[in-house]
Amino acid sequence: MKYLLEDTYYVALRELKKYFRQKTRLLMTLIQPFIWLTLMGNMMTGLTNNPIAANFLGTGNYLTFMTPGIILMTIMFTSIFSGMSIVWDRRIGYLDKLLAAPINRAAIPFGKMLSAAIQGVIQAGIIVVIAVILGVRFQTGILGILVIFIIAMMVAFILGGISLALAAKIKTIETLMAIVNMLTMPLMFASNALFPTNVMPSWLKAIVKINPITYAINPMRSLTVTGWSSSIIANILIIFAIDILVMLWTNWVFVNAVSE
Amino acid sequence: MSEIANEAIVVENLRKVYSSNGVEAVKNVSFSVHYGEIFGFLGPNGAGKSTTIKTIIGLLRPTDGKIYLDGVDVLKHPNRVRMVKGYSSQESSLDDRLTAYENIFLQGKFFHLSNEKIEKRSKEVLEMFGLWERRKDLIESYSGGMMKRLDIAEALIHRPKILFLDEPTLGLDIQTRHSIWNYIKKLREEHGMTIFLTTHYLEEADELCDRVGIIDNGKILALDKPGVLKSQIGGDLITMTFGNEKEKVNAFLEKLKTVKDVKSVNALDNNVYSLVAEKNGDQLIPKVFSVAEKEGISIESIRLKRPTLDDVYLTYTGKTIREAEGSREEAAQQRVTMRRIRR
Repeated sequence: MKYLLEDTYYVALRELKKYFRQKTRLLMTLIQPFIWLTLMGNMMTGLTNNPIAANFLGTGNYLTFMTPGIILMTIMFTSIFSGMSIVWDRRIGYLDKLLAAPINRAAIPFGKMLSAAIQGVIQAGIIVVIAVILGVRFQTGILGILVIFIIAMMVAFILGGISLALAAKIKTIETLMAIVNMLTMPLMFASNALFPTNVMPSWLKAIVKINPITYAINPMRSLTVTGWSSSIIANILIIFAIDILVMLWTNWVFVNAVSE
Repeated sequence: MSEIANEAIVVENLRKVYSSNGVEAVKNVSFSVHYGEIFGFLGPNGAGKSTTIKTIIGLLRPTDGKIYLDGVDVLKHPNRVRMVKGYSSQESSLDDRLTAYENIFLQGKFFHLSNEKIEKRSKEVLEMFGLWERRKDLIESYSGGMMKRLDIAEALIHRPKILFLDEPTLGLDIQTRHSIWNYIKKLREEHGMTIFLTTHYLEEADELCDRVGIIDNGKILALDKPGVLKSQIGGDLITMTFGNEKEKVNAFLEKLKTVKDVKSVNALDNNVYSLVAEKNGDQLIPKVFSVAEKEGISIESIRLKRPTLDDVYLTYTGKTIREAEGSREEAAQQRVTMRRIRR
């Protein structure tokens, strides 16, 4: 227990050093949200010209509606792949080296989850800057943006954890990719990230209700579009509870998977 | 108890059955390794070498048996032996997108060393392994031999008493292998380190190890000094041809049989004669010459053949070192290793 924090920090440090060293990847995380925002934003302006649609979205600017969705989508597609590093570490023997060292074993998944969370905040920051340049105004200002970052971090932490738990069991990168891809699409599209729940059929509404991503989108959208409200705290607490559960679950799966 | 306290490693009746597939990889293995010794496990892939190492250092839980490191029961007190053992796996487990220094720094941190200690010791070990000048380079630019050297250097950062090397020269070319051997010998000579290694290279076991255990199908088939193992399967063999007529040669051979340390003399095909030495075939050759001179025999050719560990291996396992079928995971891992090394 004594070394858990320290060990977690150094496991995360290793991942982050590599993250910042990959210039192309960093560039892509910049370009991708830019394309999404300009392309989708322009495509959908026609929609917001219709006053009824604008009413559903809660804003006359689709870009403003969509920005939280893009933030979540980008961090989702990155953090859900953090399990890949465990598969690779296992292949090259790095995992054995870690397990042979006197570190707290929980620090291995937690460190990688922490690194996913930090990468998530960096991406969220980039998207916020791009969105502001494109004319999006955040209702709750700087403080609201900070809360958005915290939520982004928490979501990246959850998805990183799920990905790591899967990777602890699955030993080939190809299988992991297939499963992860199968997961992200429904998580994204069965949420209110890109479209308001009001316009969805009732069966989809039901799925949206149990999708954890929804509880991240809701407060983010309030902070961006409408302003402070008490439901923001409630939603954040739900996400936080999921964080704790995923932490426990991932650690349990990981420790079981590595002890033969 | 006294044996446990005086030996670096004591393994008693170790068994390991993998719960995933029910394979019994190690079957009731017992041995001990002295302090300051280089001890080797020699066997083909899938013989149970890596499983034994991984069980001793705590990466795998034994199904049965006892393990003592530096006099401590590792199953009862795993925390007490954490700093005693160093481990370098067969895969060159380095992060190739980090520099050599970053790799060794993280390793130090995973052993909870202070920054000052890591700085001091990493300079020490990197210099020892001739890598200090290249410490700021990414591992991507390293050759297979350099990676292995760094891997062993990393395993020394916390100054372990006992070093475990799983296939230290797997896939390396012969010069690189010799240089790795020299580093391993240096560790023992200069630091008195106890080293337990596994290999499937006969020359490696012969060159490095004080004692060798031949392991196959999870069992130790023989365990002794390489020299003793070799002499057990028969002495040195001297083959000769002569430039004299048969009767004279036969008389000479009778004389030879009375020389000390000569076990037997036989006629082979094509006028070739063989002499089996009890021991020290090289010291017997001058004696053969002096007898020949007295008898007026002219020796046309003479050759000394010593049994190799290869012959020993063949005798015990009934086969030459073969590529055994490992698990798919193991095979994939080995392919990755080879790719990284051959780059």
